[in-house]
Amino acid sequence: MTAIDQVISGSAEPFISRKMAIFLGRLGFTAALLIAWQWAADAFGIIFFAPPMAVLQRLWEMTASGEMFLDIWATLKVSAIGFVIAMIAGAGLPFLLRLSARFTEAIEPYIFWSQGIPKYALAPWLILWFGIGELPKVIIVIAMSFYVIFYNTFAGVKAVDFRLVNMARVIGASEKVVAREVIWKSLQPFFYAGMKIAMPHAVGACIVGEFLVSTEGVGYYIEHARELSDTVGVFAGIVVATGLVLAINALVNWMERRALAWRPVEREMR
Amino acid sequence: MKRYRLIDRVLVGVALLLLWQLGSWLLGTYWLSTPWLTISRFCTSTWSGEMLRHAGYTIEEAALGAIIGAVPAIILPFALRRMPTVVAVLDPFMMGGYGAPKLALAPLFILWFGIGIESKIAVVASIVFFIEYFSTLSGVRQLDAKLVQMAQLVGASERQVARHVVFPSAVPNIFAGLRISLPIGIAVAVVTELISSNRGLGYLVQIGAMNFDVTQVFAALLGATILVLAVGYAVDGTERVLLRWRPPADSQQQQLGTA
Amino acid sequence: MAPPFLEIRNLAKRFPTRQGREPSPWVIRDLSFAVGEGEFVTLIGPSGSGKTTLLNMIAQIDVANDGQILFSGDAIAVSDPKSLRPGLDRRVGYVTQDDNLLPWRTTIDNVLFPLEVQGRLDDKTRAHAETLVKAVGLSGYERYYPHELSGGMRKRTSLIRTLVYDPPVILMDEPFAAVDAQTRAQLQEDLLRLWEMGRKTIIFVTHDIAEAIALGDRTLVLTKQPTRIGAEHKIPFRRPRNVKDIFALEGFASVYETIRAEIQ
Repeated sequence: MTAIDQVISGSAEPFISRKMAIFLGRLGFTAALLIAWQWAADAFGIIFFAPPMAVLQRLWEMTASGEMFLDIWATLKVSAIGFVIAMIAGAGLPFLLRLSARFTEAIEPYIFWSQGIPKYALAPWLILWFGIGELPKVIIVIAMSFYVIFYNTFAGVKAVDFRLVNMARVIGASEKVVAREVIWKSLQPFFYAGMKIAMPHAVGACIVGEFLVSTEGVGYYIEHARELSDTVGVFAGIVVATGLVLAINALVNWMERRALAWRPVEREMR
Repeated sequence: MKRYRLIDRVLVGVALLLLWQLGSWLLGTYWLSTPWLTISRFCTSTWSGEMLRHAGYTIEEAALGAIIGAVPAIILPFALRRMPTVVAVLDPFMMGGYGAPKLALAPLFILWFGIGIESKIAVVASIVFFIEYFSTLSGVRQLDAKLVQMAQLVGASERQVARHVVFPSAVPNIFAGLRISLPIGIAVAVVTELISSNRGLGYLVQIGAMNFDVTQVFAALLGATILVLAVGYAVDGTERVLLRWRPPADSQQQQLGTA
Repeated sequence: MAPPFLEIRNLAKRFPTRQGREPSPWVIRDLSFAVGEGEFVTLIGPSGSGKTTLLNMIAQIDVANDGQILFSGDAIAVSDPKSLRPGLDRRVGYVTQDDNLLPWRTTIDNVLFPLEVQGRLDDKTRAHAETLVKAVGLSGYERYYPHELSGGMRKRTSLIRTLVYDPPVILMDEPFAAVDAQTRAQLQEDLLRLWEMGRKTIIFVTHDIAEAIALGDRTLVLTKQPTRIGAEHKIPFRRPRNVKDIFALEGFASVYETIRAEIQ
C-alpha cells in the first residue's frame, strides 16, 4: 500500500473516534449550560434566575411532599382524556368523510380556517361557561390535538392505494372488512405519525391551559409561582413540565419503534 | 361536481351560521353572542381603529419575535455546514428545545420582562427558532453535492458557493418552516397576551371575558383568526412568487399547522 | 520540441482500500496520452472503464494514486486531496453527464453564472453569452427555468455554460448520451460549429463509436479495467465534417469496425 492509499482510506488513526468526540462535546455543552445558568443566577439575582442548586432542592421537596406526583397526575389525567377524545374524533372523521367526497370538499375550508383560531384564546370564554376546572382544559387539549391527528389520518386515507381497495371489493369483501384490512393497514404509518406529534402536544397544551384556567397541575404550579414571584418555583415547574413532555415524546418514539418494527422501510434513519 | 363545490361550501357556511344563531336563541346571547352581533362589533371596532391598533401590537410582537428567532436559526445550519460534528453535538439539545413546550416558558418570560412587548417577543422567538432551525438544517443537508462541484469547477469561492448554491437550495425548506412558524407566532403572541398584557388582540379577548362581554371576546377571536390565516396566505403567496423555479411536483402549500 | 499542451503520464487510480481487506483493484493503471493544443480528442471505451474517473482527475476533483498530469510541461499535484483545485483555476472546463443546472436560475442566468462568479460579467461577455445562446438554438428560451426545458435544451445550456468563459481545455463526459438520436445529431453539429469558432482543446468521452469518429481529430480506445490506452486512431476525415452523413464517407466503415473489434 502506498502512503496515499493510507490517507485516502482513513486508516491513519484519528486522535479520538467520532462517537467519542460527539459524546464529549455533548457533555461539555451540558456543563457549559449549567455553568452559564449558575453565572446568570449570580449576575442577575435570585428574582430573575433561580440558582441550579435551589431548583434541585425544590424539586426534591416537591417529590418528597408528593406534590410533584399530584401535579403530574392532574396534568396527565386531563391530557389523556382530551387526547383520547381527540384521537377518536381525529381518526374517525376521515373515515366518515370517506363516504362522501362532495361533503368533504364542502367542509374542507372550514376545517382549515378553524385551525386559525388560537385555541388557547378560547379559554376565557370556556371559563365563562364552565368555570375554572377540568372541562375547559379538556376542551383545549382536544382542540389542540385534534388537528394534527385529523390531517395526518386524512392524508393517510387519501394515500391509500385504491387499487387494493377495489381488489378487495371485487373478491367480495364487505365495506367493513375493506376498511379494516386494507385501509387501516395502509393508514397506520400516517396515523402513528400524527399520534407521535399529538401526544406530547396534548400534554404541552394542558400545561399551558393550566396557566389560564386551573387550580392544579404542573402548569398551575408554574403560573402560581410566578404570581408569588417565586422564581425558584417557576424554574422548578418548567423543569418538570419540560421533562414530562420530553418523556412522553420518548415514550411515543419507543411505542412507534415497537409497533412498526416489522417494517424496515418505516424505520427512521437518524 | 366541481361546479357545486362553491355552492356547497357557501351552504355549509350558512348552515354553520344558522346553527350558531339557533344556539344563541336556545341558550341566550350571553353565552354565545350571535353572528350578527359579533360581526358588527368586529366591524365597528375595526372602523374605530381599536381592533387595528391592538392587531398592530400583536403583529409587532410576532414580527419582532419571528425575526429574532428565525435569523439565527437560519444562519446556524449554514455556518455549521462544514462541521457535522458540532451539529451532532447540538442535536439532542436542539431536539429537546424543539420538543419542549416553549409556551410553558411564558410565565418565566413575563417574570423577566414584565407584561410589556418583550415577553411576547421572547416567547415567539423561542418557538420560531427551533422550527426554523430544523427546517433550514434539512434544507442544507439536502443539498445536491454535484451542484456544489459544478460551482467549484467554474471557480466559485467558498462564500460564493454558499451564496449561489447552498442558500437558494435551502430556501424552499426555510419557507416550509415559515409557513408553519409564522402563523404559530401570531397565535402564540395572542396567547401570551392572554396570560398577561395590556395591549393586543389577546388583551381584547381577556378584557371581554372579564366584562362578561362574549361579543367582544368573539370579535377579538375573529380578528385573531383572520390574522393567523392572513399570515399563512401571505407566506404561501410569497413562496409562490419566490419559488417559481420549482418543478410543479415539488411545490408544497401545506395545510398542516398546529396553532 | 515544445511540450504537449496536455499530457497524462502513467496515471493510476484505485478506490480506497477498506481496512483489513484486500487492496482494491486498479481502476486505471499506466494510462498515458498526450493532447495538442486545439485538438479534439475523443475517448471511447466500454462501461466501467473509468472514463468519468479519468476526467475527474484531469479536472482536479479527484486524486490519483500515481502518475502525472502536465499542462504545457508543468506538472500539477495529483495525489494530495488537500491541494485539489477544481477546474484548475478555470483552465479546465467540464461538461458533466448530468447537466447540473442551478434550478433557481433562468437559462441565461445559468449561462452567465461562471462569468458572475469569476467577476468577468460585462457588456462584452454578456453579448458573447447571448451569441452562444443563439448558436445552440435557444433563442427565446433565455428566461425559462430548467424545469421548463426539455432534456436536450438543458444539455445545450450546460454546454454553453462551460464554453462561455473560454477555458483552454474542455472535458466532456458523454454529454449527449441521454438524448434521443435526432437531438444528438443536432447537438453534435452545434458542438462542432462552436468548436470551429474557437478551436479549444477538447477531450470528449463517449461509448458511441460513430460519435467518437465523427467528432474527433483522434480517437483513443480505452481498455477494460485496469484501464490504459489500448489503441489510438487518427481520424482521416477532413473538416468541416458533416455529422449526419458521416456513415456514408469512404473509410468510415473500416475505422468503425477496427475500433469495435478493439473494444471487445
